[in-house]
Amino acid sequence: MLGKVKSLFSVQQLGLVVIILLLGVVMTIFAGSHVDRLSGHTVNNFLNPTTLIQIATDTSFFAIMAVGMTMVIISAGIDLSVGSIYAMSAVLMSLVLQKFTHAPPFEQVMLGVILSCGIGVVAGFLNGIMVCRLGVHPFIITLGTMWVYRGIAFVTTKAMSILVPDSLTHVAKANLGLRRDLFPVPMLVMLTVTVVGALFLQKTTWGRRIFAVGGNIEAAKYSGLPINRILTSVYVIAGLCAGISAFVGTSFYGSSSSGDASGYELYVIASAVVGGASLNGGKGSAVGAMLGALLIVMIRQAIRTLNLDQNYEWIIIGVAIVVSVVLDRWSTVQAQRHLMRARQ
Amino acid sequence: MHPILAVSGLSKRFPGVQALSGVRLEIQAGSCHALMGENGAGKSTLGKILAGIYQPDEGNIQFEGHAVQFHGPQDAVSAGISMVHQELLFAENLTVAENLCLGDLPRKGMWLDRKEMVRRAEGWLSSIGSSIDPTQTLGELPISKQQLVQIAGGIGRGAKVLIFDEPTSSLSQAEAQKLLELIRELKAKGVTCIYVSHRLEEIFAICDRVTVLRDGQVVDTVDTNGLSRDSLVRMMIGRELAASMEAHEEIPVGEELLKVENLSSPGKFEPVSFSVHAGEIVGLAGLVGAGRTEIVEALFGLDSHVSGKVTVKGKPVALRGPIQAMHEGFGLIPEDRKHHGLVLSMTAKENVSLPVLDLVSSLGVIEPGKERSLAQKFFDQMRVKAPSIDASSAGLSGGNQQKLVLAKWLAADTDILLVDEPTRGVDVGAKAEIHGLIRDLAAQGKAVLLVSSDLPELLSLATRLIVMREGHLVGELPANPGEESVMRLMAGVK
Repeated sequence: MLGKVKSLFSVQQLGLVVIILLLGVVMTIFAGSHVDRLSGHTVNNFLNPTTLIQIATDTSFFAIMAVGMTMVIISAGIDLSVGSIYAMSAVLMSLVLQKFTHAPPFEQVMLGVILSCGIGVVAGFLNGIMVCRLGVHPFIITLGTMWVYRGIAFVTTKAMSILVPDSLTHVAKANLGLRRDLFPVPMLVMLTVTVVGALFLQKTTWGRRIFAVGGNIEAAKYSGLPINRILTSVYVIAGLCAGISAFVGTSFYGSSSSGDASGYELYVIASAVVGGASLNGGKGSAVGAMLGALLIVMIRQAIRTLNLDQNYEWIIIGVAIVVSVVLDRWSTVQAQRHLMRARQ
Repeated sequence: MHPILAVSGLSKRFPGVQALSGVRLEIQAGSCHALMGENGAGKSTLGKILAGIYQPDEGNIQFEGHAVQFHGPQDAVSAGISMVHQELLFAENLTVAENLCLGDLPRKGMWLDRKEMVRRAEGWLSSIGSSIDPTQTLGELPISKQQLVQIAGGIGRGAKVLIFDEPTSSLSQAEAQKLLELIRELKAKGVTCIYVSHRLEEIFAICDRVTVLRDGQVVDTVDTNGLSRDSLVRMMIGRELAASMEAHEEIPVGEELLKVENLSSPGKFEPVSFSVHAGEIVGLAGLVGAGRTEIVEALFGLDSHVSGKVTVKGKPVALRGPIQAMHEGFGLIPEDRKHHGLVLSMTAKENVSLPVLDLVSSLGVIEPGKERSLAQKFFDQMRVKAPSIDASSAGLSGGNQQKLVLAKWLAADTDILLVDEPTRGVDVGAKAEIHGLIRDLAAQGKAVLLVSSDLPELLSLATRLIVMREGHLVGELPANPGEESVMRLMAGVK
């Protein structure tokens, strides 16, 4: 049993799981309780299906993008534009769908998925091509496209909020047989994206090549790896993930605007890094990225549940991010020092 | 003569390994004392303890008759012991003078006194007979000059003992000769030198005594005078060395696999033409900067300005990039294993399978069993010393990392192997194994193009030699032409 758990999570991810569970226990103990309107039972303010799925839903929009981001970071790059890709995909999809208000629901949904993901892929591809061809650091390229993509969303919507057809909301808010106030779809999408991302990184040749390019781009080149295609692909994946997240988020909330997901890129990068991705490249995991996103949302939730002063939310999250990364680095430095010394 | 430095009962343990145990050593003032041993024998650790970089767990160090304890390199420097590091520890963006004065910047009031800084640096540099301009940016100097700056810094701070850790590992032959000359001069001025190296020739050239370490213990300390190479090697590895320098079976020469006509790259090398047949090991001789590495990199498609005609097995090929070069049957074992050879953040297994992932996967999904057995096969064939194929490649010693790079290209199974400095920084035992392997590859019918700055290595391995000088092909020699004739061609002496 323990062996199975070990093979599922690395030591570091296990640490994250433990911290998340601890945070959950603390919140359960101190949250207090209320009477549920639907059932009439007394339920814990934290440990109840509605709150838990709500947390999972909040997490999913970051986490889906964090899975893509972790691949960019593994390749030793960075993508600041994912929040803007989210907004651009969301509003362009919404604008196009407005022309199809009378189309059958299934076609609306399919068109929405294709548009949102397609726009994400195209935006990511442009990022990737520029990173490879222009020889400018991805930080600068994606800083530029962050504003360009956001600007496109702004100009096309004239800063107005755009409604999406109900068919999309029906899909994103499907109960799937659960109680009628529980919406598990975003969570399931997040889990699917995480599992697919983890399998891709760990089991496929392409995933291995991303690690190699991020670990040592020169050695990867000397090993005959298609560097440019690999680098481009991670930005495409990050764009695709932003597109998926945009579809789920927009459908869930029923509308989109050019201001959607602004500032998300930093949460997403933080999630990937808290999840063990190294900005030096060559290190990171999809499961870790999802857990990192979950931890950040949990901390936010804890501030509310425990009735702490909400004004301190940013300070607490900021400190938590730095502390978790410092702890992680400290442990790897210790391990490396042992290795290096052992060599002498 | 009295010992300037005496060490007894010195032990140092790192997690998982006893680096040194009960080391006893006396170093005579004004002598040049060599520390030798295979990789992992503990010679570098010993040097670093003497320089205050590591602190011993047990044991005494006596310097000039007094017991000393160094808590850090600064303590050792102020006592008079400086180290010239294997990997240079400098701020490459600063000037020579700034680097030299970094620990103790001269000031005028609250401002930096640049004039004084330059004056001091000039004095130090001239004391070792160097005329490097102190206002030059350090990173612009070649490695050999950066090393001189390091030596000048040590001498300038009044070092009585200088510890050299593999100082010639990144120098050309001529530069190495100059450095050895400088060490002789320093010795004549009364500076005691401790010389950590793999290179037997250098030890015999400049050292008076040699202490051989094996597995963290002192095997013996002997005078170099009257010592034979064989007995020194035997002391180091504790067994007889498979005779790597002796005569070998002739490898039959097969068909022409590689033909190069008028290959040139502006600023790197002028038109060269040569060919390599199956079963041949063609040595590319030349001093550093002669264009040898540039030629093999161009053949591997890493030079976009190259022109000329390259024919593989009678078929002309274009040199577009490593992917295409591998497709045509080229494999490159690069000079710089840490930067070009390995991805140090990955395991040994992952490094070996990297160029051949397609062979161990189906539809893009890696088959773990296939990957393991492929990696294990070449891992064993190369006799890489590591706990397992899942060990981190960063944790392996230089020799084992080099074996891993070779394993990687064995796995790739290419017909033409471009081998660049295969044994730089590798210990004697691993070196002999690598030599044996290169011969085996030729015997299997591969064409090998070998670049090496180690002339004895080149002469013992190569079945034919091509000599380069300053980007020009200056001559072709048969096997075993004798060291002198090659040197003459390389250096351009008639």
